[in-house]
Amino acid sequence: MEVWDARSILLKMMRVKLDDKLLLQIEKPAKYTGNEWNMVRKDPDAVQVRFAFAFPDDYEIGMSHLGMKILYHTMNKREDTYCERVFAPWVDMERLMRERGIPLYALETYTPLSEFDIIGFTLQYEMSYTNILNMLDLGGVPVLAKDRDESHPFVCAGGPCAVNPEPLADFIDFFVIGEGEEVIHEIIDAYKEWKSSGGNRAAFLEQVAGIEGVYVPSLYEVIYYDDGTILDILPKSEKVPDVVRRRVVRDLDQVDFPDDIIVPYIGTVHDRIMLELFRGCIRGCRFCQAGFIYRPVRERSPEKLNELARSSVRKTGYEEISLVSLSTSDYSALPAFCDELLAFTEKEHVNLSLPSLRVDNFSLGLMERASKVRKSGLTFAPEAGTQRLRDVINKGVTDEDLKSSVQLAVAGGWNSVKLYFMLGLPTETMEDVDGIADMGISLVESCRGIADKNGGSLQITLSTSCFVPKPFTPFQWEPMDDIETLTEKQHHLKDRIRRRTRKIVYHYHNPRISHMEAVLARGDRRLGKVIYTAWKMGARFDGWDEHFSFERWQEAFRANGLDSAFYANRRRDFSEVLPWDHIDIGVTKEFLIRECRKAYEGDLTRNCASGCSHCGATVYGAGICFKQKKNQDQAGG
Amino acid sequence: MARALRFRFSRDERLKYIAHLDVLRLFERAIKRAGLPVAYTQGFNPRQKIVFGLPIAVGLTSSAEYADIEFDEEMTPESFISRINQSLPEGIEVMEAVPVRNMGRIMSLIASARYEIAFTIPQAMDQDTLSGIVIDFLDQEDITAMKKTKKGMRPVNIRPLIYSLSVRKPDGDGYIMEAFLSAGAENNLRPDLLMQAFAQKTGLELTVESIHRRAMFASDFNEWKSPLEVADD
Repeated sequence: MEVWDARSILLKMMRVKLDDKLLLQIEKPAKYTGNEWNMVRKDPDAVQVRFAFAFPDDYEIGMSHLGMKILYHTMNKREDTYCERVFAPWVDMERLMRERGIPLYALETYTPLSEFDIIGFTLQYEMSYTNILNMLDLGGVPVLAKDRDESHPFVCAGGPCAVNPEPLADFIDFFVIGEGEEVIHEIIDAYKEWKSSGGNRAAFLEQVAGIEGVYVPSLYEVIYYDDGTILDILPKSEKVPDVVRRRVVRDLDQVDFPDDIIVPYIGTVHDRIMLELFRGCIRGCRFCQAGFIYRPVRERSPEKLNELARSSVRKTGYEEISLVSLSTSDYSALPAFCDELLAFTEKEHVNLSLPSLRVDNFSLGLMERASKVRKSGLTFAPEAGTQRLRDVINKGVTDEDLKSSVQLAVAGGWNSVKLYFMLGLPTETMEDVDGIADMGISLVESCRGIADKNGGSLQITLSTSCFVPKPFTPFQWEPMDDIETLTEKQHHLKDRIRRRTRKIVYHYHNPRISHMEAVLARGDRRLGKVIYTAWKMGARFDGWDEHFSFERWQEAFRANGLDSAFYANRRRDFSEVLPWDHIDIGVTKEFLIRECRKAYEGDLTRNCASGCSHCGATVYGAGICFKQKKNQDQAGG
Repeated sequence: MARALRFRFSRDERLKYIAHLDVLRLFERAIKRAGLPVAYTQGFNPRQKIVFGLPIAVGLTSSAEYADIEFDEEMTPESFISRINQSLPEGIEVMEAVPVRNMGRIMSLIASARYEIAFTIPQAMDQDTLSGIVIDFLDQEDITAMKKTKKGMRPVNIRPLIYSLSVRKPDGDGYIMEAFLSAGAENNLRPDLLMQAFAQKTGLELTVESIHRRAMFASDFNEWKSPLEVADD
């Protein structure tokens, strides 16, 4: 008891104090003061586990993230745990914090990061990795896992990028692969048990390594060939598994979903209620990592969703609800669900936003009903400019589909259309690049008559991103286009559009940022040194053009005797041991190889709703796989 | 009982870091959470019928902010106050409300405001010396300052916008400037601009520590009245 009292007195003394002079010098001070509606308040001394949920980007981005809302709510339902929030301070705030020796703190109780039991980072984007190092450092926590002792918090990380945890192996004590709602309870229970046992740090890590979905990088050894490729990845002890299997929630209706989400004072990127319809995607577009790492498709029931919509509006006062999933149109009960939801939202003056809808008569009618605001822009993602290349990526959209969708939209009064494409997809030729411009031009022409009737002209925006090959996709072995090639394709496209029409606006991404994203996405653990060096040289907020420096990253590579092209631009052999081969996401390597071969042939793969293609995700016995198996059994029996 | 109310609310230290538009959004959401039968505008993008008197700047605390709100049903001031306060975050509180005849006039009514501006100077001065400096400052006929107007930044003589100015020294560090200034949609003088001009003209190296809006008034036949007093007009 005495030990605990001493600690709690210390904690109270450690609270960070902020003053006017500091806060009024920076942009949007409310990012750093907390106290929002629905923020969870607990007595930190009355809990056994203090968890800091850390989002390695700005508050306005982090507060838009659904995963954080879910885990914040789930953990805080436990009486023994207090989960608080931490975001990366923007550069103006960081400068003042460093000048005045203010440590990075959590918004709930202003407690420095170093005082927590566990710090959990979410990995949404590779270019936020340097922010993780920076946040640990600002919070008074040793950046390298090996430098932490019993007086320091454990640092864990999860989220989509954790499927290849290797580049962060030097900094993170343990990773959580897959969905967090269930495994987080097992981790907290293990922590309590360990704390009462008085064991050392290594004992806890060995203990959590036994939990399905938990990966402790320090318990594995990576052996390399001389050419830098991997010979093998081996567990250091018999107690840890050879392969770590991703965690999946089998029934979404059975896990918590928050209706009392925090309502920020300042506008954030997605400042609204988010209702998650389902996880996973039936489509299997071959470039899309999300399409593979969230399998199988599992839906939340319309009854549950309608209930959540009502209680969320009551508890937050939000004026907008957005439906969240990878492809809204694929929700099996969409028409009936939307009818009931709209009856509620119309009465309550709540807007409903419907992203990721395939455009047809039904969805246009729905959108018109859902949103009382002015018809602004509609977004389509054909991804590639020719039918051949769309078949390669398994994007089952035809020119005709797109043309009729856009015509419908324009006739319905939408006068601005955005089209998203990728440059540098496998097998792409200049003909495919031309196809992007030609598609835009033919849409402008085919809609001319229709748009005029509405008294406005159609505004088309074409955007190209740079294709980044990601782990656990059929393109995980592919070389990425080098920066020069991507730049050339962008200029070519810009020229071709400008020569033909003024009605199209063209936007494109910085290929140098995409190059670094590709490096970190498929990197091995040798990259830890590069990330560390780049951070030491000042790298942070690398996903933001104004803070990213390609030269700095190249310098960090040279300093460590590594080459970024090895990671970004090299073709891997199917037989090569990949840095993430000891992670099992359910989808098998055999399936991915099959899909890669089919891609070269331009062969399409059917979607999960029309039949099983045997990707391997059936091992989870959940969602659409389970339903189909039942149907097949019934048909057979 | 009335369909529309005019109310006064306060904002303290805890919520002084949010901007005016954030305060508007905060009220809209609190009204929704409270389930109050607020009226909505017609048209494409229906908005709650609530109008605020004067924008509230980042950093400013206040005990006298005003707004008008309209309902679809009769609403007593007591019921409104208790329901909205349960849904407002700590740091903003509705203090009083009265029925209002002409809903939405609040913006054009506001004509002046009283502020308490806490400031420090490097060398201590007694109150009389400082008061002398204030009086000399006010004796000028022309006090030009760069003021944000509808046509951009412009030099404006702010002297006619200062109705009274006095300084006092409370216990402890620093001083309090009590300023009674023109306010509202037409001739608003921001207290931070006043202090800038004061520092510039007097050469005092002052640091503003905090600004508090003490009161706001409507002009009623050459008399200053609380916006709640003129709610019947």
